[in-house]
Amino acid sequence: MADIQQGGGGGKDGKVRSKKASTRVDMTPMVDLGFLLITFFILATTLSKPKAMTLNVPDKQNKEEQKTDPIKASKVLTLYLGNDNIVHVLDGIAPDDEKAKTEMKDVSFQEVRTAILKSKQRINSQNPKDDKGNEPFVCVIKPLPGSTYKNMVDALDEMKITKTSRYAMVDLLLQADKDLLGDKIKDNDQK
Amino acid sequence: MAAVKPKRNYPMMDMTAMCDVAFLLLTFFILTAQFKSQDAATIETPSSISGLVVPDKDVMTISLDKEGKVYFGVDNQVTRQGMLESMASAEGMQFSPAETKAFMLQSNFGVPMNQLKGFLSLPKDQMAAVKQPGIPVDSTAQNDLAKWIYQARKTNNDLRICIKGDNLSKFPKFKDVLNALQAQNINKFYLVTGSEQPPAGWKEDE
Repeated sequence: MADIQQGGGGGKDGKVRSKKASTRVDMTPMVDLGFLLITFFILATTLSKPKAMTLNVPDKQNKEEQKTDPIKASKVLTLYLGNDNIVHVLDGIAPDDEKAKTEMKDVSFQEVRTAILKSKQRINSQNPKDDKGNEPFVCVIKPLPGSTYKNMVDALDEMKITKTSRYAMVDLLLQADKDLLGDKIKDNDQK
Repeated sequence: MAAVKPKRNYPMMDMTAMCDVAFLLLTFFILTAQFKSQDAATIETPSSISGLVVPDKDVMTISLDKEGKVYFGVDNQVTRQGMLESMASAEGMQFSPAETKAFMLQSNFGVPMNQLKGFLSLPKDQMAAVKQPGIPVDSTAQNDLAKWIYQARKTNNDLRICIKGDNLSKFPKFKDVLNALQAQNINKFYLVTGSEQPPAGWKEDE
């Protein structure tokens, strides 16, 4: 192959010349081995380290709950995460409002960002900032039993993307929510 | 004069440079290698724009697969051993040294406490083939996950908690895991996600 020792073929005069031993080493097998090991290490490793998002949940055992003023429904965007990656959006209306049924929109996760931004802009322009300088806009995420873990992560991610600083994830469904959503609460996969 | 013999010149390439490159790359890969751990279940995590890297030591991972089964794992083998021992004494069970050793080699597992002994006594090749039923979390009567979390934290108090859920796992199951954690006053944890590009023009503030 890559061997370089070419026999001189004797020589014209029949003089025997001492052969000079070459110090060159054939590297081909070594290269083969090197690449074999590289292949092994590439396949056996995880290059991209998984990322993580932090989730802080409120303390459940804290008996002395901080009393806060109830938030006006007009400042709240409610996202119900439903079956089949659908988000039911309720913008600035309480679930027990009579208009809620007609105002509730079903959007996909691709469109939810524009819905959040629109609502955020509307609410922030209509209401002043509170005395601590917080934005008036509040987003409430309510995952329904039919929603997946991915939906939840996506929704939390949207909060980060839209820079919504005040949001809450609530899984408690009030009677008003149940009346509003009706059949949509059920998990479609569980017959 | 004899006829000129055509001299055969074999095409020759100098492999030294190539060899250098190969071993340079090899060194790089060896040094950066983090071996894939053999997990009990394959989990496809959702992606987020979060840039936070999962801590690489003192991690407790609670995995949630798409069928809603829960797996539990701790990264350190010493912690695993301590965890199993304190769990065994709390439950009034005995594990042989061989079973403890088998347990230490599991990066994560999804077997209820009452089946654990049987599972650990299986030979190694059969162990991988067994379909693990998942750790029970839902009922208050047998909430093994909560017990494991408790014992693991007792063994190593610095453990950080990562929840690794599959795309398709349902929210109520996640809620069960959350309840098990919150019942022990754990309110801060990591959700493991893949990485995703933030939308154009998006900047992290603060």
